[in-house]
Amino acid sequence: MRLRSLFLMAVLGATAFAQARANETLTVYTHPSFAAEWGPGPAVKAAFEQQCDCTLQYVVLDSGGDILQRLRLEGASSQADVVLGLDTATMETARQTGLLAPHQVSLAALELPVAWRDELFVPYDWGYFAFVYDTEQLPNPPTSLDELIGAPDDLKIIIQDPRTSTPGLGLLLWMRSVYGDQAGEKWQALKSKILTTTKSWSDGYFSLFMNGEAPMILSYSTSPAYHMAIDKTDRYQAAAFEEGHYLQVEVAALVASSRHKALARRFLAFMLTPEFQREIPLKNVMYPAIDLGDELPDVFDRLIQPSQTLYLDPATVAEHRKAWLEEWLEAMSR
Amino acid sequence: MPQAPFRHPAWLIGPGLAAAGILLVMTVAGLAALFWQAPLPALAELWQQPYLRRVLTFTLWQATLSTLLSLAVGLAVAMALARRAVFPGRGLLLRLMELSLVLPTIVAVSGLIGVFGRQGWLTRLADGWLPGWNLYGLGGILLAHVFFNAPLAGRLLLQALESVPAPRRRIASQLGLRGRWLWLALDWPAIRRVLPGITALVFTLCFTSFAIIMTLGGGPASTTLEVAIYQSLRFEFDFGRAALLAVVQLALCGLLWLLLVRRAPTRGLAPDRRLPEPIRRPDQGGLRALRDRALLLVFSLFLVMPLAAVLIRGLPGLTGMFLQGGAPLATLWHATLRSFAIALPAGLMSVLAALCLLALGNRGGRYLAPLSPLTTAIPLMVPPIVLGTGLFLLLRPSLGDAAQGMALVALINGLMALPFVAQLLRGPLNSLDAASLRQADQLGLLGWYRWRWLYWPKLKQPLALALAYGIALSLGDFGVIALFGAPQEPTLPVLLFQQLGSYRTEQASGTALWLGLMLLLVFLSLGRLGQPKAGRPATTLSTTRVHHA
Repeated sequence: MRLRSLFLMAVLGATAFAQARANETLTVYTHPSFAAEWGPGPAVKAAFEQQCDCTLQYVVLDSGGDILQRLRLEGASSQADVVLGLDTATMETARQTGLLAPHQVSLAALELPVAWRDELFVPYDWGYFAFVYDTEQLPNPPTSLDELIGAPDDLKIIIQDPRTSTPGLGLLLWMRSVYGDQAGEKWQALKSKILTTTKSWSDGYFSLFMNGEAPMILSYSTSPAYHMAIDKTDRYQAAAFEEGHYLQVEVAALVASSRHKALARRFLAFMLTPEFQREIPLKNVMYPAIDLGDELPDVFDRLIQPSQTLYLDPATVAEHRKAWLEEWLEAMSR
Repeated sequence: MPQAPFRHPAWLIGPGLAAAGILLVMTVAGLAALFWQAPLPALAELWQQPYLRRVLTFTLWQATLSTLLSLAVGLAVAMALARRAVFPGRGLLLRLMELSLVLPTIVAVSGLIGVFGRQGWLTRLADGWLPGWNLYGLGGILLAHVFFNAPLAGRLLLQALESVPAPRRRIASQLGLRGRWLWLALDWPAIRRVLPGITALVFTLCFTSFAIIMTLGGGPASTTLEVAIYQSLRFEFDFGRAALLAVVQLALCGLLWLLLVRRAPTRGLAPDRRLPEPIRRPDQGGLRALRDRALLLVFSLFLVMPLAAVLIRGLPGLTGMFLQGGAPLATLWHATLRSFAIALPAGLMSVLAALCLLALGNRGGRYLAPLSPLTTAIPLMVPPIVLGTGLFLLLRPSLGDAAQGMALVALINGLMALPFVAQLLRGPLNSLDAASLRQADQLGLLGWYRWRWLYWPKLKQPLALALAYGIALSLGDFGVIALFGAPQEPTLPVLLFQQLGSYRTEQASGTALWLGLMLLLVFLSLGRLGQPKAGRPATTLSTTRVHHA
């Protein structure tokens, strides 16, 4: 009897997936933090559908890497009209697939720490990588990468693996842009402070950092904004480093095989309007890509302002990434 | 007597052969699709990379240690549980043992860290008593692997111990056998049948372990082959290398399975009859009883503490969701329904496929029978990400809407559960004694009736447990569904990861707890379903019944 009612539930659940479709449908491949119920996705969908007489449909893949992977696997037969959720670390590989088309969108409204003139990729938000620390456990955090590397071994940090995680790769590039060819030695010196290297940001943040296992974790300079605005706590703050912070820009692009190119371009242009951008700061916990003026939540004024923006050209990163990864691996497993 | 349905011998081989064929074709096609996409890297060149050699050595080393430890703990616990057949909370302990394996890794690991981590309860309690204890490193990996696998091994071994025929146990009891003699007469013959399979299962699980190794391993010095495969596929898009590494992994684990499991299954010797009164094991009293109690207590604490950490951490989030109601609760509820919509068919399918494959193993003869242990193990040995990517390449043009995607997810989840389900059913299915089988043959008990009157009474309980594992494994799965692109509506694990990925720690803890409760519910309800009704002996093959049939 119990089994039968469970089975009934299963059937009911399955039919719930069938949904009606109307007029033109724009398919956007994206990742969970954008499309989640509390992410910017739902509000963006509602706002865009109001003005486009179309249906906006998200296909949710695990991460930026997976979006790219899926695009490559599907090639010219892809359902995607727009990919949203690639970043500066993956965009060069995406460019090389030849599966993307020029966006033809005016980038005049952009407000980024670096000049942006890319004909394929439209930025929709950005942020700095930073170490977030627990002020209760660590009242005086290091003030520079150098100080962190030279700190006593009982200061423990949590980082992510550059082979499997975006911030992990961000730290690799951060170290590289500060120390150049000395990065390998510096990694070796940093090694004794690393409590562990997790697969993903979530593994580290949820299982370790929020459990109080280590007072510092590699994250974003914008992370405290969430804790301050939503959790209503000032306990977690980002440490400002004198050498500057490495920049991440999240981008979207038009898929060349799209059959709704005009609509897709309209969406990319819509991305740079306040209707889209006002959802970014607290729902994606990143900086908006345009100047929001007063609409930028107050907590963003309390975030660290890096003295210098570190940023390596994506083409350079793509060229050297493998060698730099091996350098890291060599330093860390010695 | 009318002709029994399904009495033709082909019914014992055909479905299993089809299932084995599907599995083999899927594996080969999945790998071939990857090789076909990319040029084949030279094996020799791969071998010369010191990094990969190190990875392989470490993988083998930690997997061997983890397996030995898990089996030792599992065996000790199973023996203690067999000796103490009745004590308050025994049923709950069994359910918790079943639960530990199916919890999503990230949840269990966060529980383990809450207990054994630098700031964990136990670490703080034992402050100074355990100099040099550090969770991060080989110690943490072993601890987590024992947490996941010792209960599994213990559960499977206990099932084998409890399947010893009652008359045999009565004789041992009447003879007053103790110590080594009791072990040789009763326990070892029962364990010997399932031990190779359990060893291979646990070893493969530890060999392919991924997130645990990375989170608790401390750094890239502790890396398994699975990480290298993931890296090649996701970050370097090097399909050829990924497929080649997957083949190396498949070859190593497959060899082990063949070596360990290939032997012909030994049949039970004495006919089993259920006896009205419980049989006391002769080694129940005295010092041994004290030792068993202590061991079970420590083991229960080892299991319960991390789960309690998950409970305590999740309670505020979950009660918050239920008290506030509204959108978050609706999301949770829908995610739960969606998860069950995938997990129930997946569980049923894995049990059905396992039965077919096991029948093939028993009746397939010299050439076809070895297919059975190999194919039931394949889903563990080939990383789902490799299989999934390969299949995606093949199915690409025809992969349609979300419902089809869900069906595919259910199918692959069912396959992923196959190794566990098959392991749970293999022992009981093969433990029928020759006398009963001969008797059934003489009575012409074939086809459906043979299944109904000979196997079903003995298999009811194992089947319920196997179904519970099948459903629960699929319910807790994140890997497969993430691979095929979840639709906007998440399942429970996808919801959990969405919350984790966007700072919603409290809600995520609540969702994790809810998922844990759902998994427990599956084991509790099916555990009850499989139990013989109290008050009367379970239906077994007895001569009178057969005449009626």
